[in-house]
Amino acid sequence: MFTTTIKRPLFFIAIFLLFGLMPRAQNSIVQKYETSNVYAGIEVGSKGVKMSMVELDKKAGEDAEFKILKDTSINTDFISFTQVSYQATLAALNKLYELAVKQNKIPVANVFTAISSGVKIQAEKEDKKIWIDQLVNAFRLNNNEPERKVAVIDVAGEARLSHLGIVPEARRYNTFLIDIGSGNTKGGYFPYGNTKDFKLFQLTWGTKSAFNAADKMLGEDKSLENYNSQLSRVLAGAEDNEIVYAVNASGAFPKSDNIAFSGGIAWAVATLIAPELNDNAVVGVTYDEVLQFSEKLSKNPSLYSDYYIVKTMPENSVDTEKLGKDVRQVNKVFDQRSLLAGTGLLLKIMRQFDGVVERKKFYLVKNGAVGWISAYVNQNVSK
Amino acid sequence: MRDTKSLLLLLVSLLLVVVSFVLIWTWGYNFYAKNGVAKPVIIQTVADSAAIANKVTDSFQKVYAATLKDLDLKLDSTLTNSDSLSNQLDAKLAEFYRLRGEIAEILKSKNANNNFAAAKQKIGELQTKVSDLNDKNKIVDKENKKLLDVVNDMVRTDKPPAKNSLSASMGQNMEPEKMNPVLSSAFTAFDLRLAAINNADDKEAETNSAEKTDKFTGAFTVTNFNSQLTNAEMMVVVLKPDGKVLKGSGWDSGTFNTPDGKKIYSYKFNFTYTRGEAKRLAFSLRGGTLSKGSYTMEVYNNGIMIGRTVKTLS
Repeated sequence: MFTTTIKRPLFFIAIFLLFGLMPRAQNSIVQKYETSNVYAGIEVGSKGVKMSMVELDKKAGEDAEFKILKDTSINTDFISFTQVSYQATLAALNKLYELAVKQNKIPVANVFTAISSGVKIQAEKEDKKIWIDQLVNAFRLNNNEPERKVAVIDVAGEARLSHLGIVPEARRYNTFLIDIGSGNTKGGYFPYGNTKDFKLFQLTWGTKSAFNAADKMLGEDKSLENYNSQLSRVLAGAEDNEIVYAVNASGAFPKSDNIAFSGGIAWAVATLIAPELNDNAVVGVTYDEVLQFSEKLSKNPSLYSDYYIVKTMPENSVDTEKLGKDVRQVNKVFDQRSLLAGTGLLLKIMRQFDGVVERKKFYLVKNGAVGWISAYVNQNVSK
Repeated sequence: MRDTKSLLLLLVSLLLVVVSFVLIWTWGYNFYAKNGVAKPVIIQTVADSAAIANKVTDSFQKVYAATLKDLDLKLDSTLTNSDSLSNQLDAKLAEFYRLRGEIAEILKSKNANNNFAAAKQKIGELQTKVSDLNDKNKIVDKENKKLLDVVNDMVRTDKPPAKNSLSASMGQNMEPEKMNPVLSSAFTAFDLRLAAINNADDKEAETNSAEKTDKFTGAFTVTNFNSQLTNAEMMVVVLKPDGKVLKGSGWDSGTFNTPDGKKIYSYKFNFTYTRGEAKRLAFSLRGGTLSKGSYTMEVYNNGIMIGRTVKTLS
């Protein structure tokens, strides 16, 4: 039927195509980070396990600059300290470790693991430290690494590392970093021009706790007006009883030119308030801008929908696809009332620094979540 | 036998070709998907907030139109009333003149006895008509006054369109339109300089090559002979060849208002100033990988561009 002259080329073409293209197809799916300056930090937090992949510049250490290559997380609820949450957390830890080492080819020595302060505090409070030990031992056993270091970080350590990871060196000694979490607020600054001495700042209020307190006081009237008035009451109480005192006690006012906020609410407000700066990791704001945002949000939340924000952007000014995705994510994580609670708390803290004579510069940090683990990696690489 | 062997070989070849094509197709698909060419079209199913806003605007437009229509009707009816009053006045006046003429005729008539009672009756009628006319005159005056008030109200409403009656009726959902303040700057900028810097062996040298550029440095001098300002703010915008703003760090960049809308600045200066002083301001920007082309530095004060220079990198 076919002559040998046709059959042979056909056969060789098929073989060439089959074996020539297969490896390329596989390589295009996974990116490898075999270079020596790419590191991974895996953090077991209260609500999940998070991995940040960072690329450090040539000079590693506290002054080194790093670029975040990847940031991924798996939600678990470790601090409920149940068998189910323990198993889920262990599985997530193993999965992310495997992702770093096997899939992304990061050398084992370049992968750092740590337990966050939120887990430590809760475990100490409930006398459940054994769950942490068990998790660490199981992780070491699973990966056949009995000597692996899994550091348990305390609040001051985490706040210090966050400062080192978020604030650039040029602003290190004149910036007060405040991380507004869901259940509490923590932060601090370096008062003496070195990174060893760190002044810790803490509040028992966070976005979720402010929301919960206002929500509890609603009674029969579930309207937004009532929520706003109850929230004002809650925040006024927090300001009088705690915020004013904590800020004064921190001594940050005369020593800080910049007040930077991180945490979920900072990310959310920064994304919605300055969509034109969507690709900025940090957004500068004023007290009046945040106040105006809060008022607009209360009156007309649809002004902050992804559709409206994208539609009102000047043409070609930002990547509208990314912006839309980011705004959708913010609205998925925070509803109107949670945003109002977080913004209200943010404003109460900002007000302490918004003097008549001297006004501080305010910044909202979007990538605060990867700050401390990135700094932890950076610090440990230099050792 | 030979044919069977050939056929088998051919079948294997064909099978391999098919498998190869499947692999090529998979690779091609992955390549396509990775480059974002074959992106799924996401249909927006969420409530169209702008459409809602438009609907709200539309409904307010309707309310506004209805109010205007109502005003028109009021005006028309007032004018009609005014016209009808005028007609009535004319009729009354005609009757008044007729009665006055009749009375004059009776008084002229010699048969005064017969017509005296009639004249008396007519005079009574005439007095009633005069009194009616007085009342009607007062009503016309009132109507005129009302009409004038309505017209004045309309004139006031027309001047700032979104701030008075409309914004009140729009309620809380719509933002009142902001009037753009007239911006001006008391500063002048001169001696503008934008340089591309290469860092080699810890030494900084100016370069014209985009590839070799590690950072930009810029400087300019500002003076102000007009104003007593003690604190001043200058925004520097460095535009890349693609027209986008070059941003060194999120900590340095931000937005500011201009008559053309919000703009992003690359760097901001806050400084104290004494009148007449020639203040030299300098900055540096690291912008990552730079492309060839023209980089434009613009200096703004109070939203107004006060200086501009261009640096071309090859």
